[in-house]
Amino acid sequence: MTEVTFPEAPALADRDPKVLGTGTPRKEDDRLLRGEGRFTDDVGRAHTAEMAVGRCPYPHARIVRVDVSAALELPGVLQVITGAEAAARSGPIRILRPVPGAPAIPHYALAERVATYEGQPVVSVAATSRHVAEDALDEIEIEYEPLPHVTDVLAALAPGAPVIHPDVLDSNLLVSNPQGSGDAEARMREADVVVEGRFFVSRVTGLPMETRAVLAEWRAGARELTVCISTQVPHLVRKQLAESLWLDEGGIRVVASDVGGGFGLKLGIYPEDVVACLHAMSLRRPVKFVEDRNEHFRATTHGRESVHDYRIAARADGRILAMTDTYANDLGGLNSPFGSSQLSTVVFNGPYKVDDGFVERRVVVTNKTPIGAYRGYGQPEVNFAYERLIDTLARRLRMDPVELRAMNMVKPDEFPWVNPVGAVYDSGDYERCLRMAAEAVDWAGHRRTGHGPRRSDGRYRGIGFSSYVERTGYASGKFLAARGSDFGAHEGINIRANRSGGLDVYTGVSSIGQGSETVFAQMCAEFFGCDYDAVTVHAGDTAASPLNTGSFASRTVIAAAGALLDACARLRAKTLRIAAHMLGVADPDRLNVIGRAVQHRDDLTLMVPLSSVFQRAILGQGLPEGESPGLDETSYFDPPHAAYSFGTAAAVVAVDADSGEFDVERFLMVHDCGTPLNPKLIEGQVRGGLAQGLGQALAEELVYDPETGQLVNGTMMDYFAPTACDLPSVELMHTAVPSPVTPLGVRGAGEVGAIPAAAAVANAICDALSDFGVELDRLPITPELVWRALRRKVLAGA
Amino acid sequence: MKADELDSLPLGLPEPNVVVAASVNGTTVTEQVPARLSAADFLRHRLGLTGTHVGCEQGVCGMCTVLVDGEAVKSCLMLAAQLDGRRVETVESLAPEGALSPLQECFKASHALQCGFCTPGFLMTATALAAGGPKRSRAEICEELAGVLCRCTGYEFIVDAVEAYLAAGAGTAADD
Repeated sequence: MTEVTFPEAPALADRDPKVLGTGTPRKEDDRLLRGEGRFTDDVGRAHTAEMAVGRCPYPHARIVRVDVSAALELPGVLQVITGAEAAARSGPIRILRPVPGAPAIPHYALAERVATYEGQPVVSVAATSRHVAEDALDEIEIEYEPLPHVTDVLAALAPGAPVIHPDVLDSNLLVSNPQGSGDAEARMREADVVVEGRFFVSRVTGLPMETRAVLAEWRAGARELTVCISTQVPHLVRKQLAESLWLDEGGIRVVASDVGGGFGLKLGIYPEDVVACLHAMSLRRPVKFVEDRNEHFRATTHGRESVHDYRIAARADGRILAMTDTYANDLGGLNSPFGSSQLSTVVFNGPYKVDDGFVERRVVVTNKTPIGAYRGYGQPEVNFAYERLIDTLARRLRMDPVELRAMNMVKPDEFPWVNPVGAVYDSGDYERCLRMAAEAVDWAGHRRTGHGPRRSDGRYRGIGFSSYVERTGYASGKFLAARGSDFGAHEGINIRANRSGGLDVYTGVSSIGQGSETVFAQMCAEFFGCDYDAVTVHAGDTAASPLNTGSFASRTVIAAAGALLDACARLRAKTLRIAAHMLGVADPDRLNVIGRAVQHRDDLTLMVPLSSVFQRAILGQGLPEGESPGLDETSYFDPPHAAYSFGTAAAVVAVDADSGEFDVERFLMVHDCGTPLNPKLIEGQVRGGLAQGLGQALAEELVYDPETGQLVNGTMMDYFAPTACDLPSVELMHTAVPSPVTPLGVRGAGEVGAIPAAAAVANAICDALSDFGVELDRLPITPELVWRALRRKVLAGA
Repeated sequence: MKADELDSLPLGLPEPNVVVAASVNGTTVTEQVPARLSAADFLRHRLGLTGTHVGCEQGVCGMCTVLVDGEAVKSCLMLAAQLDGRRVETVESLAPEGALSPLQECFKASHALQCGFCTPGFLMTATALAAGGPKRSRAEICEELAGVLCRCTGYEFIVDAVEAYLAAGAGTAADD
């Protein structure tokens, strides 16, 4: 690995009170607690029209005729846009993270001739109110000719399946990406044992509590489009809108104030965003679209659905010789800006050291809602496959699954280590996390006492583990360029001093709940030396912030830390030079920033308030010779490497072998995300990810009827999202191995919780039922699934 | 306007209107609104009380929870017209000027919010819960809070916050 240097941090040791590394009160909280958050639908503009969208009710249909005449007669209806008009006035939506080698599937804002999933936008109405716009949709006549459809991923690949995009593809296989090194097949032949399994990972939704929303406003004379939108990536939205609407980026301002959750679903533009802008530009009045929840279930990207064919070859002593995974990712009916997840390949081997490996990703088109990024982006999916199979291997070898894991993990002195697909694992102590988890659940005691059934309740007891690594952040813009990504790996930060003696931090990272305002302010205060309260973070406005990438891929803090370090260092140096001039001190290095003042290190009576220094800089009078006016620094940082978070989750379950019902009695996780900048925020992130991971493990699944191609449970009433009653209490433990490849040694923490939950629960149930030989292979793990698995084994035995 | 007259109206404007007079956060408001306007939309878009959020419009997610005559209700399932003559409290009623209420302070101290979209729903549910008496087991608190969904926190810290608030005895005698 190449040697890396980072912008140097000023001496941090003598801060009191310490601000970085502590759970400071969040900057975001007061406004949100008072009901003063500004989510997109909270933004009002005079004379705003509202928009409603007519959607294809079929999974696959030709649009034969659209008659909007009756709708236009309704009082209050301002405009109707059809697919033909949208195609004439806008270009296709650009993909941000293409699958390498995949041909482009044209994706226009409204379907013109053919719709490829239930819920695809076909026609749009702008009216004086949403009520009237929805009335108008009822008056629009659309004649559809239903086409043969396919919703199952494997069926879509079968010969004779209807080809969904025949203009672009010969089959429904969008692309296949094989990758690997060594000779896995040779190792399979030599191995003492080979275990294999097919694992089905269910389709779910991230379900942010705020649905998507957009407010578009056009000032023709200024050629200025202002777009308030619920997004994780304001600057990328600006780029995509400029491309689709054929506008100069200079004329587009994107503002994301408060965002009510993203989880990967709000990465880039959606068709409705383009249509709202088209309405606003032709009506010359603001147009608002707020997705309702039933639309959200059909029109906002889903996540996860994939089928993994995984194999592990090992020696009789447990040493893993080779791992392979051939997996099919469901893309849905179109390629969303982030498409189906790509990281199943990158971390396909998890924390295990293996030289011979092969992975093939196959991306498959089906007649379902497009898949997009969702917390973990392939890592939870593949973790379920390899961690389930590791336990199967342990049972086959009659080995302790903890010892099997430990002996195969990459060891602390083996880093940096490159896995068979080229991922560079930076550092860590994987085994320590595993041992801590095993001790916390008294694994040794459980091995002694056995699975039961327990006398008290007749239930079987099991403990399951899931060890993981998480790729956090991107390994530089160069890495992304090699994959054709249409965004960079960097963050940009602008810091300006103000006359009140405070610092204004401007960032394109919108506030989606991750607490970036807080941790950016902590870093700024720490690096510059001032009070936390002196820092104000202004987030998510492209007109105010420097270009950046956005909040996803657990990358924000890694990249922003580098930019903040550099900007603060330069701002601090200039501040001290001006203060030295004001105080008559020859050497600025003898000065220090303390709270809201600059003070001499030796003569504590020599001090000047920051407000005085900043006012002088801004006024531009009385500065040292040659010093430019202003205190305003912008910095960009491109992280040279990704950092890998790691850890182990453990679940303790009690299972009723007659009914398949079970309880997760304990769930714990030992987690390492490097140097903790704000332990409270990290714990919040990990717990939130775990809740989504456990949701998928226990109940979440979007079900399509293969006959009709309809989404069966696409309402809040029918889709199971866990409530406060449905989740086990979670115990968290942390280790903190600093990453050598990131500023401050941080690793990302945003997605990690979502990764290990499902495999830990599944492994615990299989452990409890090991006397029956039950091996679970799919999600969600419902009592019915367990009962059916048991019943198959009982029948097979009888 | 009678029901059969409503049916004979053309769709779209002009819509049948009704007059609502209600006490909202201690202020009497009188507004003429479309008959089909929901209580949540009325609070948000007519009165500008945008702290009440809308998440599903079918009474499941609890984002729109407000107090009507002291009881926690989902305002997306009510019509604005049904607020006539009632006493309504929204999240905007909780904080005294320039400060947070004890309940809000508990949420802040426990890191019980991330994106904050669900927070008003939990705060109003907890406010109603506190009015019913402070003695609640953790399981009972979970049960009561199960009417509001959160996708960020995993709930543990929200339950911690409400537990701490109730344990401090806050809000017990407020109703009298």
